[in-house]
Amino acid sequence: MTALAERAAHVAARAPRGSIGEAERWFTTRGWRPFDFQREVWSAYRDGESGLIHAATGTGKTLAAWWGPLLEWLDEGVEGQPGRARKVRRSSAPSLRVLWVTPLRALAADTLESLAAPLRDLAIPWTLESRTGDTPAAMRARQRKRLPTALVTTPESLSLLLTREDVGELFADLRAIVVDEWHELLGTKRGVQVELALARVRALAPRTRVWGLSATIGNLEQARDSLLGTHAGPTPSRIVRGVEPKQIVVDSLIPPVIERFPWAGHLGTQMVPQVVAAIEEGDTAIVFTNTRSQTEIWYQALLAARPDWAGTIALHHGSLDRRKRDWVENGLRTGALRCVVATSSLDLGVDFSPVDRVVQIGSPKGIARLLQRAGRSGHRPGAISRITCVPTNALELIEVAAVRDGMFAGAIESRQPLDRPLDVLAQHVVTVAIGGGFDPAQLLAEVRATRSYAGLTDEEWEWTLAFLTSGGAALTAYPEYARLVRDGSRFVVQDAQIARRHKMAIGTIVGDAHITVSYLRGGTLGSVEESFIARLAPGDRFVFAGTPLEFVRVRDMKAWVRRASTVKGAIPRWAGSRMPLSGELSQMLRERLGEASRGILRDPELQALRPLLEVQRKWSAIPTADELLIERVKSRQGWHLYFFPFEGRLVHEGLAALLAYRMSRLRPITFSMSSNDYGFELLSAGEPPLGEALGAGLLSPDDLVHDIPASLNSTEMAKRQFREIARVAGLVFPGFPRAGKSARQLQATSGLFFDVFRQYDPTNLLLTQAHREVLERQLERSRMGRALQRIDRARVIVMAPPRISPLAFPLWVDRNRERVSSEKLADRIRRMQLSLERAAG
Amino acid sequence: MPVALPGSIAITVGGDELRLLPDRAVHWVRTSTLLIADPHFGKAATFRAAGIYVPSGTTGAALDRLDAMLESTGAQRIVFLGDFLHAREGRHPSTLAAIDAWRSRHGSVDMLLVRGNHDRRAGDPPASLRIACVDGPHAEPPFALAHHPVQVDGAYVLAGHVHPAARLHGAAREHARLPCFQFGADCALLPAFGEFTGLADVEVSAGDRVWVTTGTEVIALAGDDPSRSTSG
Repeated sequence: MTALAERAAHVAARAPRGSIGEAERWFTTRGWRPFDFQREVWSAYRDGESGLIHAATGTGKTLAAWWGPLLEWLDEGVEGQPGRARKVRRSSAPSLRVLWVTPLRALAADTLESLAAPLRDLAIPWTLESRTGDTPAAMRARQRKRLPTALVTTPESLSLLLTREDVGELFADLRAIVVDEWHELLGTKRGVQVELALARVRALAPRTRVWGLSATIGNLEQARDSLLGTHAGPTPSRIVRGVEPKQIVVDSLIPPVIERFPWAGHLGTQMVPQVVAAIEEGDTAIVFTNTRSQTEIWYQALLAARPDWAGTIALHHGSLDRRKRDWVENGLRTGALRCVVATSSLDLGVDFSPVDRVVQIGSPKGIARLLQRAGRSGHRPGAISRITCVPTNALELIEVAAVRDGMFAGAIESRQPLDRPLDVLAQHVVTVAIGGGFDPAQLLAEVRATRSYAGLTDEEWEWTLAFLTSGGAALTAYPEYARLVRDGSRFVVQDAQIARRHKMAIGTIVGDAHITVSYLRGGTLGSVEESFIARLAPGDRFVFAGTPLEFVRVRDMKAWVRRASTVKGAIPRWAGSRMPLSGELSQMLRERLGEASRGILRDPELQALRPLLEVQRKWSAIPTADELLIERVKSRQGWHLYFFPFEGRLVHEGLAALLAYRMSRLRPITFSMSSNDYGFELLSAGEPPLGEALGAGLLSPDDLVHDIPASLNSTEMAKRQFREIARVAGLVFPGFPRAGKSARQLQATSGLFFDVFRQYDPTNLLLTQAHREVLERQLERSRMGRALQRIDRARVIVMAPPRISPLAFPLWVDRNRERVSSEKLADRIRRMQLSLERAAG
Repeated sequence: MPVALPGSIAITVGGDELRLLPDRAVHWVRTSTLLIADPHFGKAATFRAAGIYVPSGTTGAALDRLDAMLESTGAQRIVFLGDFLHAREGRHPSTLAAIDAWRSRHGSVDMLLVRGNHDRRAGDPPASLRIACVDGPHAEPPFALAHHPVQVDGAYVLAGHVHPAARLHGAAREHARLPCFQFGADCALLPAFGEFTGLADVEVSAGDRVWVTTGTEVIALAGDDPSRSTSG
């Protein structure tokens, strides 16, 4: 023991039991000392406060939040017996005191482990368990009878608890709810689900304190208010700042020959040798990619380059089976693995001390995200965090330079909270109705106490209730329809089938329905989006969990596969891959290009791009920060217009629809559009009236109130957004196991619902919500407005390059397209052909 | 013989003239028959009975479309190619009353249902609707009328069940997906007539003829032999 530790131990030993000294003593036995911010949280918790703790990953946020309730227990005078840990019996353990909410199932196991250590050491007679989608049925049954003293759970499982009729008794002795990684939930519908659940818990157990753990983001006050609600009452709350992030180094692997480097390669696996060399520099590396499909591709590529790494290289993503993930995480913790290829599934939580090298494949898309990933390395004393970026197309080199600028400028992105989504509210109302029913006035007050629904109007509330009881349309009676029924002054769910279906659907906010991938001979590999499996025919091959597989059939809600010999074939293309460049990063990017247009090429990344930028300048132009570049090119496909506002993909999708709509008013024309983070393309079969349109205010920020909704109506965006809404509001269901034949009569797609609603109930607020979500979430309307103001002041340069320019190339190859048309459908159809391959014979 | 059937296309199959109507139905001219596949009446009510909200109006709209087609074609008979009612839970009084009222407006029209898979679970239409019910395939030379697309020796099968849709693409990366009529060597698929019904992409074999409907116009797909279809 060092002199310092000895002194600390001495000080701690004198501290009275149950006071903060108890915690200090425990820290000392581990050779640690509590940080000031941890002490601050403990005393605030003891004073009855709630709050938000923000700090970098792996700096002790978990223990800051956990020791509050532990000290409270010790304060209550129940003696533990240090050093003599015994198995605690469920029946004799205290009832539920702490709920620990984690956004990822994958984090639950690791959280359990870190929470268990002090319980064991201090022989605190609590039970500690998790309840997630992964929890085995036997454990669920035990938990139905009696919950543990501390429960680690997900937002969905928390909502499921609220459907229990004895929910009031369950929470009778609840002291604390900790929401881990709150920044991940904020700005998502799952986050809103948590807000509503917390409001319910606060109503049932008013003395519960809520503590959120978050990475540092740009809008911490909003994050706190979303977590704690707007009517926090007499309970004071605070924001506690944790430990400053370590020094971070951001560099890139620069392709040796930039001319031969593809302008838009989705894989970038030409860089494999350099990545192998980078991994070899350290002991343990994490290779981050942006999509699960890239994870599979890079895993295969690294293994092909270094077959001798077999067994010490692994992959990790959220779709993998839990046991496989556990194995990988364990290998990282012990240092047994040399390299793990991962998606954002390893962004959060868990501390992997041996990791000393982090590689990022493709653009990190945001400054906060890059910092988070960089922070996964360098946990050893004195180490710095270093992240090495590997571009998947040449232009991403500029993004690396821009993200470094942003990091130095401290431009950390905000997470915008969502404003009163009615689909989530409808789901929550049914949840509460199943869990013992509700009085409408009380529930309204409770819901309005959340930040998200603080602005909920009486009309919206009445509509939501009516939607669930009678259908919502004022003039029509639906005697056969009733999800909720009125029982005296309370609303309840009486139909057991409705309750059952609702409980099964609660988890569906997360996204697309998933289907388990299993071997015919037994054994589960993980789960994959149903939409991917739906595209496979028996005999098709694909790679999953690093293994080549042959698809056999779908039965009993499982995709049955067998091992295949070859690796060739489809890699699942999962959703979530098209994350936009953040506003902060876009700004840095425009400034970097502005410099480049003046011939200033700072940093290795920009210098490496010199040949490509030269081509861009020769064929077209490099726009400065106050110019808007438009390129027009004619090809065999038709007339291409490229616009380069550099505002991020979401804003570009909105601008593309708007500009296409404005041009289509001048003459009948059909545009297909594609967007990326740099710009967008409008493609048409005939020549577009660009000059005329520019003269008539094509880029004007005027009339947006009319033009944006109109352009939106001419695309399928709202219909697509409605998919999620229909699922959350309980209109469409994922395929249920054992749902039986009667469920087949209830199958309809969200698109069908959208069409029927639009035709027969056009004022339905769920449709309104779909439009609002497209405008606010998808297109970031406020950002779009600011972009147009900027573009309006910009000088417009129209160029006609001889070929597709380097800037335009990624757009040219993109096949993910929207459409705006002012032509008669029949006229368009006459130009088209059946796209099906005519089958032989 | 009605003169104007805007947007429709007349084709000849087995020596008989069939008119493909934009409202997703076929007019068999010689027998003065409307062929209607997959109306799925009561589907919205089935959802509502299960606590899933679907606005009303789909039944009324479907019946209005039938009215319009009976009038424009002057047809004296309707043959439903299966899935008349969606489910037993959808046999709701208000839905059945609307169909009943519609039926009484067309007292002189003969109606026949060739049962489909949904009819087996939902049950035959109430006797008061006076819709004769048979199991398919039902022989009416040169055709066999059926719900499922099956093979029948010596007859050309007209069937439903599939809710066929065609995916189209064109220059400048245009694409569309529309309900279609698909005529193969010995069997044809009719689009689903019902309002609240989905679509399924069809596989097209060499020699198949496909027409899509925009709702107001039936359009032969490019690449088809023009001599085999004439504009109506």
